[in-house]
Amino acid sequence: MTGPALLEVRGLQHAFGSVVTAKDLHLDFQDGVLTSIIGPNGAGKSTLVNLLTGHLPVQAGRVAFRGRDVTRMPVHDRVRLGICRSFQIVNVFPRLTALENVLVPVLALSGRARRPFARLSREAEARRAAEAALEAVGLGPAREVPALALSHGDKHLLEVAVALAARPALLFLDEPTAGMNPVERARLLESIRRLAGEGRTTFVVVEHDMDVVFSLSARVLVLHRGEVLCDGAPAAVRADARVREVYLGQEVVPAPEKAAAT
Amino acid sequence: MQSIVHVCLAGLSSGMFIWLVASGLTLIFGVLGVLNFAHGSFYMLGAYVSFALVKALSPHFYLAMFLGPLAVCAAGFVVERWFLRRVYALELPYQLLLTFAFVLVFDNLVKIAWGAGSLSPPSGLGPLEGSVDILGRNFPVYSLFVIAVGPLVALALWAALERTWIGRIVRAASSDREMASALGVRVPALFTGVFVFGTWLGALGGALAVPYVGLLTPGMGETIIIEAFIVAVIGGLGSLKGAFLGALVLGVLSAFGTRFFPAFDMFLTFILMAAVLLWRPRGLFGAA
Amino acid sequence: MRPGVAAAAWLALLAALCAVPFLSGRFAPYLAMRVMMMGIFALGYNLLLGQTGLLSFGHGAFYAAGAYGLGLFALRVSPHPILGLAAGVAAAAVLALVVGALCVRSSEVYFSMLTLAFGMMFFALVWNAREVTGGDDGLIGVVRAPVELGLARIPIERESQFYFLVLLLFALSIWVAHRIRLSPFGLVLAGLRENATRTAFAGVPVRRYRLAAFVVSAAFAGLAGALEVLLESGARPFMAHWTHSAEPILVSLFGGLETLTGPLVGSLFFIAMREVIQRYTEHWMLAFGLLLLVVIMGFRGGVVGALGALLGGRRPAGEGR
Repeated sequence: MTGPALLEVRGLQHAFGSVVTAKDLHLDFQDGVLTSIIGPNGAGKSTLVNLLTGHLPVQAGRVAFRGRDVTRMPVHDRVRLGICRSFQIVNVFPRLTALENVLVPVLALSGRARRPFARLSREAEARRAAEAALEAVGLGPAREVPALALSHGDKHLLEVAVALAARPALLFLDEPTAGMNPVERARLLESIRRLAGEGRTTFVVVEHDMDVVFSLSARVLVLHRGEVLCDGAPAAVRADARVREVYLGQEVVPAPEKAAAT
Repeated sequence: MQSIVHVCLAGLSSGMFIWLVASGLTLIFGVLGVLNFAHGSFYMLGAYVSFALVKALSPHFYLAMFLGPLAVCAAGFVVERWFLRRVYALELPYQLLLTFAFVLVFDNLVKIAWGAGSLSPPSGLGPLEGSVDILGRNFPVYSLFVIAVGPLVALALWAALERTWIGRIVRAASSDREMASALGVRVPALFTGVFVFGTWLGALGGALAVPYVGLLTPGMGETIIIEAFIVAVIGGLGSLKGAFLGALVLGVLSAFGTRFFPAFDMFLTFILMAAVLLWRPRGLFGAA
Repeated sequence: MRPGVAAAAWLALLAALCAVPFLSGRFAPYLAMRVMMMGIFALGYNLLLGQTGLLSFGHGAFYAAGAYGLGLFALRVSPHPILGLAAGVAAAAVLALVVGALCVRSSEVYFSMLTLAFGMMFFALVWNAREVTGGDDGLIGVVRAPVELGLARIPIERESQFYFLVLLLFALSIWVAHRIRLSPFGLVLAGLRENATRTAFAGVPVRRYRLAAFVVSAAFAGLAGALEVLLESGARPFMAHWTHSAEPILVSLFGGLETLTGPLVGSLFFIAMREVIQRYTEHWMLAFGLLLLVVIMGFRGGVVGALGALLGGRRPAGEGR
């Protein structure tokens, strides 16, 4: 491996009052390694994503992106550098159409958003990129539909599409398959696999769905109470005793075992 | 030294009126999530209605001052029950504008009923009349009374919210409306109650202001609401503690401004607010 | 509405407006000018409220800045109307830049409170600086000098002549607002309104764009204020008062926040209603308050929104009315 890691986290600490959500975290994320972050509720997964993407201010510690310190960098600058995220609770632009939703990041990042007299209808390149982003998650036909009118599953797809449209180098997906039916989930996973294969975007996925985690990831991070409990290849994590102890109840296993474990 | 003490005392007493209005404003914002522009109008109504009652019920001065704010509560009830309640589902701007509309309505109704000029309140303060010698200069007894009332109200509010069961319900409803409702709290009735109580606080301020200001004008609501807003914002919207502190600071600062820098006094308050918000965008004790 | 139909409608409106000064009486042109000026004020205001989602209670200050900017320029430097208008717009924009830089750091309620405070502060400033602004008497004696363009001297002293300058600027304002709405910049502003957090995560520096919207809307307000001074030959402190700041809010609500024409329709209704009410009672402010109550409790999308829902259909991205 040459050069600095894609994202380097050193000594990250965070607490909400007395509840510790990140305890001296040291992590590296490498280019092209699709990582899943799992852990019981309250483990600090979403908080970690919030801290790394700039949504929450860092109280202590250091975050570096390709060697560059981004610890105090504002959200929009991080996005421009290449760190983006999707949200667990759908966080789109309700009254804009699906296409418009995706156009916002496309225009912002191409530097064309500043123009008050340009015509949106003439921004052909941007529109093409936006349409491609929608196609990538299978929302092409819904492009003229206002986001709030989309079905629940489609809204989640749009959520991911908006994050992808920023063409980030590092993309955090926060429970992307929540609220999706199996067809939609499969479609999304296929898209993620394909995009990860293209090599432009490194995905870090926070998930509860174990199928997604173990079928998709090259690396699994297990968080528990703000600390890294286990970090490694899926098979190793699955077999780890501590993980099974803390977390096993939510894995898809035969019924009797599951009942005993919870 | 004498000047400074007197200015401080004057500032504290004028700050107490701001505190009374700001307390109602803060309570309503904290529980209902609405910033009530019309709170200054309730203050004004408290003053005018008390004034009218003083004349009507003379010589029962204190009775009039007691009944005045209660009468104004009726206006508060109407506003919440039949208007504000219907717009909770709408976005915040609509609620702000609704209360703003009431400012126009109340302020102009007062102008129609009592004329646009100023009124001089009658005397009759009884034991609170006259002044007391402080460091060689006279200071009105009534102002000292006002300085005492402010913290009393603050203490009473704190005790009610922290120590009584109804206070607990109010605090619960303010932090999670749905949950409180699910637990059986009749949230709409609670909201009406809090709004009316907040109205009472504002109107009480107005009633107490009658002997203090020496002059009633329809514009008095306007001035006090801006000061109350500034105080609420400085202290952190929704924080009673912050509002109380803010009112003290603003009152004293204004008093110094009026006394020593008369050309700039109104800017001092705005500069104070801008400075606090630049340092703490959510106010001193505001929710992060 | 198909683009061809919309364009025809606009041209018809323009033609109708051109015809107004040729009708009998001075009243119609005067009223039409007041509607157009309010329209300019409201168009700019709606860019901030309807498009960007920021509720300002202090826009009267920018209207006043435009007014006093032109007034002071005309009285002290040169009566040239175009330069005066530019001075007014510039004054409003600069004030907005300073005030806005502080206000956009806060959101929602805090933003609104700050704008209210700054608005009233400006009002107090104007009221108290008697030597400069004339205090509560306002600025008087501003004349409508002819517009000098190279060799041509276009007189605007008569109201019927000044009317065409107002109409020209009105049309220009509509065009600018229209272009902004349909531009990438306009889309980002809409994004800010819909979801500021997501907009940040789309790589947009939120404060900077909000400030830009704030300054542009203030420029419109300043233009309207400056035009009023030319029409009425003077500026008054009331322009900066919060009750004046409420007028474009009511107009926008009444006409509808979502569309370009909403503020214009709202202006027409507002001015017309004020004229009628003032004929019967001096308590216009009370009526204004009651009107605002009715609008909020009743119409949500305003008049234009209601009509739009009737006529049906939502316009696709990139094409507009």
